[in-house]
Amino acid sequence: MLDRIVEFSELLRRHGLRVSLPENMDAAAALELVGVGDQATFKSALRAALVKRAGDAKTFDELFDLYFLGLGQESRRMDEELMRQLGMSPAEFQAMLEELEKFLERLDGKISAITKALLTGDMGEVERLLREAAEAEQSENPGLRVLMFAQGIGDRIGLEAIRAEIESLKALLGRGGAAPELIEKMGRYAEQRLRNIMRLVRELARRESDKKDPARSERERHDYLSQKSFIYYTEDDIRKMNEVVVRLARRFKNRLSLRRKLGRRGRLDVSATFRKNLQYGGVPFRIKLERRKKEKPDVVVLCDISDSVLNASRFMLQFVYSVQDLYNKVRSFVFVSDLGEVTKLFEDNELHQAVEMALRGDVIDVYSHSNFGRAFEIFYRDHWTAITPKTTVLVIGDGRNNYNRANDWVLKEIRRKAKQLVWLNPESRMTWGYGDSEMPRYAAHCNVVEECRNIHQLYQLIDRIAA
Amino acid sequence: MFKSVDEVVSRLAGERYICSREVATVVYLACAMRKPILVEGPAGVGKTELGKVLSGALKLDLIRLQCYEGLDEAKALYEWEYAKQLLYTQVLKDKIGEVLEGAKGLSQAVERIAKEEDVFFSDRFLLPRPLLRALLAPQPTVLLIDEVDKSDSEFEAFLLEVLSDFQVSVPELGTLKAKHIPLVVLTSNNSREMSDALKRRCLHLYIDFPAVDREMEIIRLKVPGADEKLAQEVVELLHRLRKLDLKKRPSISETLDWVKALTLLNVKSLDDALVTETLSTVMKYEADIRKAQEELKEYLAVRKAKLAQPAAATSDKDFLN
Repeated sequence: MLDRIVEFSELLRRHGLRVSLPENMDAAAALELVGVGDQATFKSALRAALVKRAGDAKTFDELFDLYFLGLGQESRRMDEELMRQLGMSPAEFQAMLEELEKFLERLDGKISAITKALLTGDMGEVERLLREAAEAEQSENPGLRVLMFAQGIGDRIGLEAIRAEIESLKALLGRGGAAPELIEKMGRYAEQRLRNIMRLVRELARRESDKKDPARSERERHDYLSQKSFIYYTEDDIRKMNEVVVRLARRFKNRLSLRRKLGRRGRLDVSATFRKNLQYGGVPFRIKLERRKKEKPDVVVLCDISDSVLNASRFMLQFVYSVQDLYNKVRSFVFVSDLGEVTKLFEDNELHQAVEMALRGDVIDVYSHSNFGRAFEIFYRDHWTAITPKTTVLVIGDGRNNYNRANDWVLKEIRRKAKQLVWLNPESRMTWGYGDSEMPRYAAHCNVVEECRNIHQLYQLIDRIAA
Repeated sequence: MFKSVDEVVSRLAGERYICSREVATVVYLACAMRKPILVEGPAGVGKTELGKVLSGALKLDLIRLQCYEGLDEAKALYEWEYAKQLLYTQVLKDKIGEVLEGAKGLSQAVERIAKEEDVFFSDRFLLPRPLLRALLAPQPTVLLIDEVDKSDSEFEAFLLEVLSDFQVSVPELGTLKAKHIPLVVLTSNNSREMSDALKRRCLHLYIDFPAVDREMEIIRLKVPGADEKLAQEVVELLHRLRKLDLKKRPSISETLDWVKALTLLNVKSLDDALVTETLSTVMKYEADIRKAQEELKEYLAVRKAKLAQPAAATSDKDFLN
């Protein structure tokens, strides 16, 4: 058993889980205690000892099935699916299988073993035959990619022959004189089974190469949300992102509140101490410390919401509004070529809704070409009063201006009047200044310019700001 | 301690805590291997409760340490009782005078005082906080470290020493070793990722919202008077609501509250108006309530349709299971 555990941990490691030696030892000790008789107990014991992150549980489950169970689960799932599709209860399904078996008996010899096993639902036998084929294929042509490997297995078990047999069987059924309804059902059943075996072949090929090929999981790990560039976010990621924003916001708040707490007592205020202690003849009996003023900045957010940076803007808007209570006032503007204020959307609606509305083009035309210069100019013309000496201005955009006028003088003015100007660019720093990117020119006017392509970078950024 | 996984299930049930076999397995292993358990999962699934019932089931004292931002060693481990030390020096002033009598020069006086130093840095003036209390307790205890994710990473690093060796070093006294190894339960809401080092020392347990039948079991246990059909409906509905994107997903305690409320109102079956009126027991945010109401309408409509043609509904159910 110990060998199996070590091998399994090795597999987990190759798929990006961190499993250390003591954890391996724990797993072995745990199994000694609970034994291996009960599969569920066995699994939870292993999981408790080896998997320490809730997010890794899924990978563990998959690999556990892969390593400790055969294709059994997959074929059980197929059976259930079949019953559902045919609208049969398990009893009816069983009856049909028996009927079919009798029918196939009569055809004895004319039909191959694998087709028979497949149609009678003897998935254990099918799996055994598939494995034989897979092993033979592997020893003859090692190192095939998944697709080629699947094809190899398919050729070996004779997928084409099975298909032909099933076709002729359907014809036979028609001549057999059974009830047309039953024939129709059996026909559909046979067809579905054919699809099943192809799926099993693919599944087997995938599993076998998964066991060997850590590259795939490597890729998956890189895809992991925090490292994933905002541009590549899928719908699903966006949903998950909401959760991340909440967590990030809480972290940011905690950090800041702790800093404010620790920072409450400042340095010695020399003049105040002297003044206070004059009554004691100048002996510093009571010490007066500087009190820090509670600084709650005003924030103005300028978000580029053209397609290329849409997700980053979505993320930042959500984030800024999640930590809204840290600020005195937040005003937000979105732009592509026009610029519009969306502050009110956030006042009237729930956060997610407001973000969607702001990005959807309720306020400005989102289908035009990015024009930072024009947007800045509009900001200067219509919303200049938003900027006060207490304002922090946060710009999110890639600075790709479609060769329009840069109008970076607006940023210069903002810098002069506001407390600070921060620019977050969701594009890789290496590409700034190439093509129509005006980044270097804009960057010159900012206090802080950062590349912010994924959550990981945002994390670091926040830590730096809050540290 | 427990002898088998089944015993864990039954004895926790005796404490009115219903858990899955998976939970029981981990608890059993933790007891047998003397390893801490790190429990994670959404709010309100009974993570803290697990620690409490364990102490009940094992008839051990529960020592609880609630973590928060800024928690430090002084509040978690031990503190010198400053005031008491001061008081003693005042009261013993004369005695100290005696000790110092006849001392020649300052250095000799200091020398003499230094000899007596141990008196003031002894167990007597040590104020043990939860962690030290758990280590020094004369009987084994259950140590519940609640919401460990709220603490700072400095504190977490310091927990490592305690959890791996079950000993702490107090500079003035040396190393204090545990008399009995406590059963440690750490809970985390995952507001931040715990360090690998800490995780390595623990068995990991993820508790999710319970499956429908387990939640039913919990209701039967905690709200004995509840109508079976009503409870079923509530649980099914809440399972649907938990799938929504809510600010705060309704937890088990909310399920119980709702069933209790409905039972008090003597309700036998859910209907539109009633649900709208009592929804505030389950949902804690205005926005959530709005979302839930939409889902509710759909649910009730589907149910009505089902009730209208019961025959179709049963056959439907057959091949879904």
